[in-house]
Amino acid sequence: MDIDLTAWQILIVKLLIILTVVPVGALIGGYVLHKEMAHMQHRLGPMYAGGWHGWAQTLADGIKFAYKEDIIPASADRRVFSMAPAVIFVPVLLLFLVIPIDRTLIIEDLDVGLFYLLAIGSVGAIGVLMAGWSSANKYALIGALRSAGQLIAYELPIVLSAAAVAMLAGSLSLVTIVEAQDWPFILWPPGIGLALFMLFILGAMAEMSLPPFDMPVAESELITGPFTEYTGMRFIFGFFFAETAHMIAFAGIGTTLFLGGYKPIVPWGPLEVIPGIIWFFVKTAFMIFLLLWIRFSFPRLREDQLQKFAWKFLIPLSLALILATGAWILYGPGG
Amino acid sequence: MAIKDPELQHLQDSSAFADEVSEGRLVTEQMLLNVGPQHPATHGVFRLLATIDGERIVRAEPVVGYMHRGYEKLVEQRDYRQITNLISRMDWLSGINNELPLALALEKLMEIEVPPRAQYLRVALAEMNRILNHLMFFQSFAAELGAITPTFYAFREREDIQYAMESVTGGRMHFGFFRPGGLKEDVPKGFIAMALASIRKVIERLPDYEDLLTGNEIFKQRTINIGLLEKEVAYAYGVSGPIGRGSDIDMDVRRDEPYLVYDEFDFDVCTAPHGDCFDRFWVLLHEIIESAKIVEQALEALPPGPILGKVPRVVEAPKGEVYIRTENPLGELGFYLVSDGGKRPYRIKIRTPSFSNVSALPHVLRDTLVADMIAILGSFFFVLGDVDR
Amino acid sequence: MALDHVDERLERARKPGFGIGLLKGMLVLLKHLFKRNTVIQYPEVKQDLSPRTRGVIALKEENCTVCMLCARECPDWCIYIDSHKETLPPKRKGGRPRKRNVLDRFAIDYALCMYCGICVEVCPYDALFWSREFEYAEYDIRQLTHEKERLSDWMATVLPPLELEEGAELPGQAKPATATTPAAPAPTQGATAGTPASTSSSAAEARPEQVTEAPKTPTAVPEASKPATAETAAEPAPETAKPTEGLKEATEEQQMDASATTTPEPAAKIDAGGGVAQEGTQAEVEEATAAETPAGPTSSAVTETPVAQPPAPVKPTPRPEDLEAPEAAYTRVVEAQKEAGSSPQVAEARAKVARVKAERALTQARAATPQQAAADPEPSGAAAAGEPEPAQGPVAPAEQDDPVPAQGPVAPTEQDDSVPAETGDEPQGAAEPAAEPQSAEGEQPEAAAEDPEAVYERVLAEERSKGSSDPVATARAKAARMRAIKGTLGPADG
Repeated sequence: MDIDLTAWQILIVKLLIILTVVPVGALIGGYVLHKEMAHMQHRLGPMYAGGWHGWAQTLADGIKFAYKEDIIPASADRRVFSMAPAVIFVPVLLLFLVIPIDRTLIIEDLDVGLFYLLAIGSVGAIGVLMAGWSSANKYALIGALRSAGQLIAYELPIVLSAAAVAMLAGSLSLVTIVEAQDWPFILWPPGIGLALFMLFILGAMAEMSLPPFDMPVAESELITGPFTEYTGMRFIFGFFFAETAHMIAFAGIGTTLFLGGYKPIVPWGPLEVIPGIIWFFVKTAFMIFLLLWIRFSFPRLREDQLQKFAWKFLIPLSLALILATGAWILYGPGG
Repeated sequence: MAIKDPELQHLQDSSAFADEVSEGRLVTEQMLLNVGPQHPATHGVFRLLATIDGERIVRAEPVVGYMHRGYEKLVEQRDYRQITNLISRMDWLSGINNELPLALALEKLMEIEVPPRAQYLRVALAEMNRILNHLMFFQSFAAELGAITPTFYAFREREDIQYAMESVTGGRMHFGFFRPGGLKEDVPKGFIAMALASIRKVIERLPDYEDLLTGNEIFKQRTINIGLLEKEVAYAYGVSGPIGRGSDIDMDVRRDEPYLVYDEFDFDVCTAPHGDCFDRFWVLLHEIIESAKIVEQALEALPPGPILGKVPRVVEAPKGEVYIRTENPLGELGFYLVSDGGKRPYRIKIRTPSFSNVSALPHVLRDTLVADMIAILGSFFFVLGDVDR
Repeated sequence: MALDHVDERLERARKPGFGIGLLKGMLVLLKHLFKRNTVIQYPEVKQDLSPRTRGVIALKEENCTVCMLCARECPDWCIYIDSHKETLPPKRKGGRPRKRNVLDRFAIDYALCMYCGICVEVCPYDALFWSREFEYAEYDIRQLTHEKERLSDWMATVLPPLELEEGAELPGQAKPATATTPAAPAPTQGATAGTPASTSSSAAEARPEQVTEAPKTPTAVPEASKPATAETAAEPAPETAKPTEGLKEATEEQQMDASATTTPEPAAKIDAGGGVAQEGTQAEVEEATAAETPAGPTSSAVTETPVAQPPAPVKPTPRPEDLEAPEAAYTRVVEAQKEAGSSPQVAEARAKVARVKAERALTQARAATPQQAAADPEPSGAAAAGEPEPAQGPVAPAEQDDPVPAQGPVAPTEQDDSVPAETGDEPQGAAEPAAEPQSAEGEQPEAAAEDPEAVYERVLAEERSKGSSDPVATARAKAARMRAIKGTLGPADG
């Protein structure tokens, strides 16, 4: 049966998909976070909310936050204060537009998909600055400044590693990039692929202010950094949701760029029967697991160490990798 | 941009202002940052007045006293058994080590002989408490640096040991178990096995902690050469315990002036020469190993016999004064007991390790970064109850 | 002293690791991800707490006699007790109406309670018990004051006390067999009795150590615990300790344990000495007597000692010189009692008891070893007058009932014996002539055993103390010496 929809209707459907899938995904992601953290720390995590192993914990958290009083500090800049969470959250939503879940399942297959991703991903930095500045709080300000510096610094490894991937694939369209990948995924080109993947991971973690790069939100020092003055729904959307949804988005992007997206892990007959969606979710789940695993293991880097690490190590490395990728393309067997 | 400083007003209208900025002579103000008294990174109600210039601390002044409960006055109004129960709340992480100098002081004044079984059990319990204390600081240091996982591992180990101590004393944190002349009661069946099992589990998992933290490059970057406390300065401030030993002060009351039966046990005193956060942490971890050794030796060689010496029904210290030093997990704990021959002391002056340790903070915190301040505070093992009494 | 190997590891740990350490750390977490979880999911699953856990205090009302000790000792003053006195009709006709304390109110305010357990510990009638229940949180703080009824309800949750670990001593159950080895060091204290270091503490030792509810003789002296170094010099001596000392320890222990269990029953302990027996001092006398009765307690009042009989046959009878001289026992007990603050009559009475027991012990010992009797010097006070140290060497350990004050009594009592006038105690001086016939009696069968010279010195000292003039004193001393050589009776004997 062919459904004929006008362009507007298609747009609304697409928006609805994003607006439902992403928060649900964030809820599930949050639950996975709690549970994984708990079991790695030799404890159980949520067990009550919803009955069976606390599956509804994040849902309950979200509803709880909806009940909270919306407090805006007296000396805060009201408009900026109110807008900041939106400026952080909406770009995250928009990231999901171009991630291919299956060959034909993509909200919008942009020709410049990768470029779009990287561009949208950087808008969040402005939101953080807005939040910190408008809070009229010394600690929030320190946090916002640290955060802004960190986000800018770690944009480059992500951009450069993504650029290298685009070079290898020969296109900025994400579907093409996935199609261009073959097994073994991150191990090819040898060495370069793995290094690019590591760069991407580190950059992504810093973009999301996950430990070990969470100095801006160093809880033991600045409480929640730029979001110290936020409560209730603003907090949830600007901080928690953004972080979790961002993590899922980056996991999806990482899967797409490095792990082969919706392709089966091994190009083996029986495995290809399984639809691409499943593969995509399996790989994204693995990425999320990896990100969270790193998150729980390490103490945080000091701000200047963080910056040093980015500017003196990661960025030169990524530039070198770009050169190497170029060399590979020109002179290597990839062609 | 308007220049508020009157001295620099003349620059407002000139292009020389830009030159001032570019030449780096722009005047900046120092900010007074109040860390605490409510702050997650300080071990309690501890206030630090930090004068910072950007991210660099110019001067830091600790303000203590937020937890002063007047112990030295309280004990003047209570008899010795009540004091035993009260005093374990001073340094609450090493509960039983606080009761120890009191018991020793009374034994010295009243010249009571403590039976060997009681001595051995005292050593075992005190060392188990030391392990509890060190595990606590291990996790708090890691948590302040952002590593959230060690907290749960440490508390899991603590749980086993605390369970063992609860089966003996009835309490998990405040024990009230030592009496002049020995112990309140003997240990129940199965305690030795339980205690040894819990200690061995800690030792088994210690390599995990080393992997998780001391081997971690990020941790090393945050703690090596941070918070240097030179040996002479540490001596001058009377810093003792793991902090002192982390600054190469080779002092341990258990070895230098053995009390109880410490001279019968084979254990090493761990010191580290550099005096930075990493070394202090290293000493902390290795002291756990040494304490475990002592507990094993004490419990395996536990002699049979009574656990209380001949003590009068009413504990009255004769007239006199005595000073007892013991090795609290945090350092040297001293009780100066002045008795006028009654049921209550005339005066007990308590020399707490944390107070001296904290007094070294201004020196250590000079010219460090704000983020390092957290690491340094974490590596300085002090308990506010001990600082303020 | 920093060990080199620790330093090496430290230096290696401080080196940068280029990311390997990070991976190792991550692996630790992965390992724990797959480990079995040990979380106890409270409140569905509760931890099995120890019976000693300080959860809540339960009251056994029928045991409470409203002595108010718990309320008095509570550091937080959180126990509220009200009572009134009732007069009950006499039990039998012509008797006295009995007064009784009736408990009106017994409340513990758990909002104040610091769960220290002092009240449970001090209750002499076992009316308070610990229970491990802790789930009694309330919304209203006033509900946290538990009244009598609620406290009695908690009794249902009280668990029996735990069985103790091996090697623990239960009251009344000394283990002298195992105690002999640790008892070995005890004599060393006696050996060092003469040393100056211990004399300084001797005065302190002379103070009686009254027995508490769980007194155990420190069978093995923890030398290491004492800062005084006098004992350390005596460390090698344990190897040469005589087995008799062990027996002594054992019997003291028995005595001690016997007295230990009777703390709430002072009446049972009244001995021939008479006077009001305080629980503690009575036991102290018991110790004093125990030293002289290696064969077993002679005091009829002590009924709990049968428990500790077994070791007695194993040990050889102590030699006479190992036992405390009666005079020495007397003076020691008097000193001890004086220090304890007993009245003179009580002190004298107890001292007399001690002396009698010492004499009996001597008699028995001499009867057991007649062949040695001739060779051995009489371990009486006379010998003390001569050379305190060498002669008292073997005796001194005998004098120690409790290893702690062991050194103490020896020195002063020796001096007392040699210069009784210094004590200047009228009761003591008066008692001495009375003591003499007894001691002479005791000596009778063993007259040949006593060293005549020692007799001479002793009698001389005694006469002098009584205030006799010099010629009289020397004459009497000579006569006593002659009697000792000949084995005849004197005017004071018989």
